[in-house]
Amino acid sequence: MSQSPSTVHRPAGLLSRGQCILFGALLALPLLELVFDLGISAPTRFVLGFAIVGIGLNVVVGFTGLLHLGIAAFMAIGAYAFAILTCTIYPFQIGFWPGLLAALLIGAVAGAFLGAPTLRLRGDYLAIVTLGFGEIVQDLLKNLELITKGTQGINPLPTPWFFGATFASDTPKSWYFLYLGILLACTMLVRNLEHSRIGRQWFAVREDELAARCMAIRPDRVKLTALAVGAGLAAVGGALLASLISSTGEPGNYDFQISILALCIVIVGGIGSLTGVIVGALVMVGMNSILLPMLGQKLQQAGIGTTTSVYLAPDNYKYLLFGLALVLMMRFKPKGIVAAKEEDH
Amino acid sequence: MSAVPIIEVDGVTMRFGGLVAVNDVSLMVDQGSITAVIGPNGAGKTTLFNAITGVYDPSAGRVLIAGKETVVPLDAKAWWSFAVFGISSAFLAAVFLHAEGLWLHAVTENYEYLKPFPWMKGIMDAAAYVIAHGGWAALVGGILGAAGRFAIWSRTRRTPEIVAESGVARTFQNIRLFPELSLAENVMVGMDRRMRAGFCASLLRLPSASLERRHAREEAARLIEFVGLGTKIDALARSLPYGHQRRLEIARALASRPSVVLLDEPAAGMNPTETVELMELIRRIQSTRTTVVLIEHHMRVVMGISEKIAVLDHGEKIAQGNPTEIRNDPRCIEAYLGKEDLG
Amino acid sequence: MFEWFDSDVLLQQLLLGLSNGMIIALIALGYTMVYGIIELINFAHGDLFMLGSFLALTLVGVAMNCGIVDPELMGASSHWWLLGTLVLVCGVFCGGLNLCIDHFAYKPLRRASKLSQLVAAIGVSFIIVNVGLFWGGLPMDILGGGGAAAAPKDFPHLVSDTNLLGEESFVVMTWNDVVIFVVTIPLMIALTLFVKFTKLGMAMRATAQHATAARLMGVDVNKVIAATFAIGGFLGGAASVLYANYNSTVSFQMGFRAGMDAFTAAVLGGIGSLPGAMLGGLLIGLVRAMSDQYVGSEWTNVVVFSLLVLILIFRPTGLLGLKQREKV
Repeated sequence: MSQSPSTVHRPAGLLSRGQCILFGALLALPLLELVFDLGISAPTRFVLGFAIVGIGLNVVVGFTGLLHLGIAAFMAIGAYAFAILTCTIYPFQIGFWPGLLAALLIGAVAGAFLGAPTLRLRGDYLAIVTLGFGEIVQDLLKNLELITKGTQGINPLPTPWFFGATFASDTPKSWYFLYLGILLACTMLVRNLEHSRIGRQWFAVREDELAARCMAIRPDRVKLTALAVGAGLAAVGGALLASLISSTGEPGNYDFQISILALCIVIVGGIGSLTGVIVGALVMVGMNSILLPMLGQKLQQAGIGTTTSVYLAPDNYKYLLFGLALVLMMRFKPKGIVAAKEEDH
Repeated sequence: MSAVPIIEVDGVTMRFGGLVAVNDVSLMVDQGSITAVIGPNGAGKTTLFNAITGVYDPSAGRVLIAGKETVVPLDAKAWWSFAVFGISSAFLAAVFLHAEGLWLHAVTENYEYLKPFPWMKGIMDAAAYVIAHGGWAALVGGILGAAGRFAIWSRTRRTPEIVAESGVARTFQNIRLFPELSLAENVMVGMDRRMRAGFCASLLRLPSASLERRHAREEAARLIEFVGLGTKIDALARSLPYGHQRRLEIARALASRPSVVLLDEPAAGMNPTETVELMELIRRIQSTRTTVVLIEHHMRVVMGISEKIAVLDHGEKIAQGNPTEIRNDPRCIEAYLGKEDLG
Repeated sequence: MFEWFDSDVLLQQLLLGLSNGMIIALIALGYTMVYGIIELINFAHGDLFMLGSFLALTLVGVAMNCGIVDPELMGASSHWWLLGTLVLVCGVFCGGLNLCIDHFAYKPLRRASKLSQLVAAIGVSFIIVNVGLFWGGLPMDILGGGGAAAAPKDFPHLVSDTNLLGEESFVVMTWNDVVIFVVTIPLMIALTLFVKFTKLGMAMRATAQHATAARLMGVDVNKVIAATFAIGGFLGGAASVLYANYNSTVSFQMGFRAGMDAFTAAVLGGIGSLPGAMLGGLLIGLVRAMSDQYVGSEWTNVVVFSLLVLILIFRPTGLLGLKQREKV
């Protein structure tokens, strides 16, 4: 998949060509809106948040070959850590950026802790443990009502600030650029890892764990690093998404469906490819958060109400679309839209 | 050269259920030598290799590398890790089981509206609360944590990575390269043992990491050249023909600068020309003061380059000696050709 | 706290745990058989179970609407023949469906990586959940409860719910409990005998040991895999009827929860081992019932998960599983 560092004789650039084009296009999107009134830069912020989650999951699933089915739990951990440390109803109120950093660290530690018992076991066990963890984090957040406000969710959350400027909720474009910047930073940092000794260890463990071990690579450390990085990034994504809607939402929002949405992002976009993940986020979240609601609205305007029948609400086809995306991609294009091999230069 | 054998196999037995794959085999490999392990199919040669390299844990007996047993000792470091896991899980259990009380006591009670949170006092109160109330939870959590760490530790006392760390590298009978990585990267994985770049250096692409990577790449190119794979170091490993894959595996093994390298049927599937090149390569490896142990069926290779040969049959060592001795040993001839051929 | 010493409560929870445990065990068998043969966590199995219960619900509705059974008598008298038919029909339905799933979704991926197969299985699971959602939205008043498509549906008691221990007894045991044991125990015995003594069963065990070797010995591996899926599906379908009848409610999302429990049970018992799955199912059922009573039902999932993690740390092969070695 990644023939990464060695294919170039000089060190790999900060971004691949595909990534440059992609980020260029994303940067141009709001400018385009100045001319045409599309109104999509606001919902596209969700795409950017999920793209960060996707990059995190890609480190675990794509680079290290570990199937992680509970990434939503780390989004929840990130969102709640961020909320408790910043929300005005709690005493801490450490502010947006320190809160984001804390979410990253707490998520990473939680990710490493969770993986620890399964590192020496067959891969499927990690899948089932992460899946179970995804479920019980929701339970924990619901049950510790005193701390997490139970099913109410925590709000309001602080809006970001950047060089003295605070962002108001009616300026989606400035949020958009900020989130794009964070996504860019995540992409570059993970790309650095990908093209380094750490990335090589991840790939080696993915390709053949036993051979890697016979080359003195300690698979438990390698996997722990990957799980921590993945969970940390997912937590950042969760915190950003929560900040976007100024609420953590209820714990039940971070359910298996969200984990699978993240998995779809990685698999549809191109497993093991950073460019692919961002493309996957555009496709999947674009469908989930932009296209389906829009379609539902149009249907309702056309007089075909969503309340009359379960079959006419586009939202009810979500599971089917996710499921078909996974099955068909595996069958016909297992490497995804952007295959990792073509991605690099 | 020192008198300590680089590998000493001492009465190793490997049992799988009822099957005894290797039965009480002892073997000495001298430093700097080329030793061959031969025997008919199913004699237990690869199983012996697996036992030496830590892939399998011997059912009985032990393996010494350079006179030392490659087992994680029950030393201060091990005790320390049990203690760390025990204490941290005790802490986690105490905090989680009393989360709400802790929150009330340390956070809610210390909070005054519009005043910054008194972090020090909060932490002290939290600690006091955990000490006062978390006793049972901490005890149970601590015991489970320490015992869990011990359980995992005792399952992984002798693993391939620990043996590899002590300077043993190997190749595999059914080639196990990293197919989707390039030639250079495959070899660089081999060098990982000697690399030092850490997480932060890699994340931020610090000059130290970049420099190390560049050197590693140059060395990888040299090694690939050394095993005769030319200069196409950026092709994917899976694109190589079979014989070349075997050589790349050897390059990967050599990349860790091992003191001994174990080759499992390196000549399998090679044509006569390649076989001759391989013999040449093995001699060159020996000339870099690396000990070579190989499993091989090609008698020309075995007889041509080995200094010492051990013969396995049905999991037992039936003979050992230099090529001439083995060639004339009746038991070996019997094992290879069958009894009736003797007559 | 005194509830600990209340033997009636304890007995009731034991009974509840055993009954639910038998159902979990039946589902777990489907997981463990498929895993034993092709090392795939058949993620769709739990959702298949859900579809089985929807079919049962629909059939009961049809029977009631056609006047075959009297809605008034539901729960008052026992409809053994209806229950038996449902177990068979839903079993065959789920078995057949599982066969189709294997054929269309998994079989083309047999040579792909394990990760791809598992992802495909998750995809199938989601598709089935959506089918369940739409099934629940069928414009029929025969689906008990009616209401929104996504709402849980009431399932009528097919057998009498009079207390067998007498009206005064605190512990309630009805034919609903008994029928679970009457159905599951013979099924488990039959399965064990089948795997031990028939030719196909032997082929299954051989394939589980080493698929390539089995193929070289003339075992039709594809047939064995198909049979495994069919049998596993059948057990899941049978379990779905028992579950719906016992818990009186079905919903399109219940497959996930049931699947989680059953898979945990399979791991607990030692994945790939049939007696392990049965034992694991019973244990999970008991742990859930005890935790519901003595810890609080909102913590039950946390308790079961902690149990799973502890098992993986201290006995990764499960209670009855055998150590597996990687072939080098």
